[in-house]
Amino acid sequence: MTATLGRPPTGRPKGLHYDCRSAGLQACLFVLLIAGSARAQSVTFAKDVAPLLADRCGMCHHPGGSAPFSLLTYADAKRRAAQIAAVTANRFMPPWKADPADGPFIGQHPLSAAEISTLRHWVEAGAPEGESAGESVGSLSRQSQQSRWTEGWQLGKPDLVITLPQPYTLPAEGTDAFHIFVLPIPVETARFVRGLEFRPGNPKVVHHANIRIDTTPASRRLDEADPGPGYDGLIARSAIYPDGHFLGWTPGQVAPLLPDDLAWRLETHTDLVVELHMQPSGKIEQVSPSIGLYFGDRAPTRTPAMLRLGRQDIDIPAGDSHYTVTDAYTLPVDVEVEAVQPHAHYRARDVRGDATLPDGSTKRLIDIADWDFRWQHVYRFVTPMHLPKGTRLSMRYTYDNSEANARNPQRPPARARWGQRSAEEMGDLWLQVMPRDEHDLDLLSRDFRPKVAAEDLKGYESEIEKHPTDAALHDDAALLDLELGRKDQAIAHFKASLALKPESAVAHYNLGTALTVARRLDEAAGAYREALRIDPAYANAHNNLGNVLLAQRQFDAAIREFQEVVRLQPDSVPARSNLAAAYAAAGRQPPR
Amino acid sequence: MFTLPLLAVLLQALSGAPLDPLQAPAGTKAIVFLFTSTDCPISNRYAPEVRRIAEAFGPKGVVFRLVYPNPSEDAKAIREHMAAYSYTGVAEAVRDPQLRLVKLAGATVTPEAAIYAGGRIVYRGRIDDRYVDLGRERPAPTQRDLFDALTAIVAGKPVPHATTQAVGCFISDFAR
Repeated sequence: MTATLGRPPTGRPKGLHYDCRSAGLQACLFVLLIAGSARAQSVTFAKDVAPLLADRCGMCHHPGGSAPFSLLTYADAKRRAAQIAAVTANRFMPPWKADPADGPFIGQHPLSAAEISTLRHWVEAGAPEGESAGESVGSLSRQSQQSRWTEGWQLGKPDLVITLPQPYTLPAEGTDAFHIFVLPIPVETARFVRGLEFRPGNPKVVHHANIRIDTTPASRRLDEADPGPGYDGLIARSAIYPDGHFLGWTPGQVAPLLPDDLAWRLETHTDLVVELHMQPSGKIEQVSPSIGLYFGDRAPTRTPAMLRLGRQDIDIPAGDSHYTVTDAYTLPVDVEVEAVQPHAHYRARDVRGDATLPDGSTKRLIDIADWDFRWQHVYRFVTPMHLPKGTRLSMRYTYDNSEANARNPQRPPARARWGQRSAEEMGDLWLQVMPRDEHDLDLLSRDFRPKVAAEDLKGYESEIEKHPTDAALHDDAALLDLELGRKDQAIAHFKASLALKPESAVAHYNLGTALTVARRLDEAAGAYREALRIDPAYANAHNNLGNVLLAQRQFDAAIREFQEVVRLQPDSVPARSNLAAAYAAAGRQPPR
Repeated sequence: MFTLPLLAVLLQALSGAPLDPLQAPAGTKAIVFLFTSTDCPISNRYAPEVRRIAEAFGPKGVVFRLVYPNPSEDAKAIREHMAAYSYTGVAEAVRDPQLRLVKLAGATVTPEAAIYAGGRIVYRGRIDDRYVDLGRERPAPTQRDLFDALTAIVAGKPVPHATTQAVGCFISDFAR
């Protein structure tokens, strides 16, 4: 430091040891200023800046990358130098929201305070290029730099590429836009998926992608009901993460290929459900993302579990700047935490997850002090975090629903309840965990399922309050009630659904099943008969009615129902065995 | 704020000819300089709002001039940019590769607006308060500063706030 002062030696102490008290304030400031700029002069693009940009920014900011511009060459960086210093100083970039002390996570590229200073000093020195940088980055040749960040698929050539049949047209302006695309996955046989890479197509506007699969036609029907590619609305309940694997995309993130034994099974006739979060650019944009799938050869031998902490009874008063959401779950088995993904909308401020081990020690899962809905990473641990049985997983999110939160979607602030729409709020912490074996996975799943079902039910109750005439919400809530053994509530929801569509055979049938479970057999039989009045060929209704009649020891009537099932479904083995069982119960021989 | 009438600054018209950006047809009440660049995302996201304001105040004697300070943005790139973001016909464009108007107005980022009226700069700053900081934005503006300033000017009233802080891409980077 003393050598960079640029002043002739005097009798006084030099450099930072300069005695400000004796020299007076003005002289002291002068010396410090000189020291600062002298340090800045030693920073060059070639020596200091290029390696940082390539290593921490290049995964997005390369030609054809997911960022709107490249930062690999001196010409690229020089024309954005002050901007680079500013966005790194306020930690807008690189977009790593988690506390740097967490993890370490795959793809973690935060800049240290010293590295941020280096960028600032470079700008203060006038963004000098330094020696032998040329058009390349640092000491690497242009060619080797480009091969590091390929313009194509980061995971290599996919086995299957899925694209939109036609581009989606995004309007020129407006707030963040969300649109859901449903894309059939054209596979002839079941495959084992080792990886999925998402390419935004138009990185200027595509901000992140929430990706699920749906083995039911539910998502497809939503898409078909909405003109144009994709649909506006909510992700269907049947669109899920496959076999405990995260599938989302945020810029700069490509989930590494899974080992063969951890692949997920892709059935035929499965749809890919892709929710795009887009930011209008100021002009009309065409958006055409593509998804590459990578297949393995073998069926998986290990399956992770997806746990979800969180609340669906969130209800934040207008103006409340410190609303807190907490949840916890104690692990019944040992697990390795592979990845975590917090999820919340615009009002969340501090997002935190912890693990408290049986010995009382704690491990931080994730801490994001300044939550930004725009950057919804999946945080994958480089080394999975081992947590023993008895560990308490906990989350604590705080929300600011006041005017002081610039991102608040409501102005003036309004009451915010749980909901998937971005103007509503959520508070989830997803954890991908690997139990020791299949036995532990089963134990964990059975222990965890009632918790998540009960929470989902709260979400449905809240949605039903908002949309009381949505029969599908009542149906889903009733199914959860049945799962949780809440028979009376299930019957009430199915009755509400039936009241909304009294001529639906399925609605009568659903009510019949809930009444059957509740052992209200006379009413159940009545409900099935109503279903059959509307749809006489409803095989399942004949079957269930047969079972009710059997339980009521009305053997002849039961046998008639099962005979009808066999007539409707002559190839059904269960139908024939039910009929045989009915004859046996009646103590009779079936006719030859 | 400036108290003396400004001296003429010569900029470049897209044709390359020298142009005094402070000159305007008779009856002009104000000139809005909108500092912009072809590839600044925040600047571009404001294009529809700038067009709306220009269309609202154009008939009231307000001239809109897009100022492109980035020396590397040539006339061809600017014409393409104006067509892509539908500025053509709504605003004029001038190049300011020497940053003369930038310095005169005190602009630091794109997008940033400066209003020249009555021989001086009477407003310099953001279009509205949608962007609080880089990476932090409101879903909708709560203050439409440029709109409010122009409303005051055409009504013959003083501008509510002479300066505001704009958020966007740094013009200082263009000077290197």
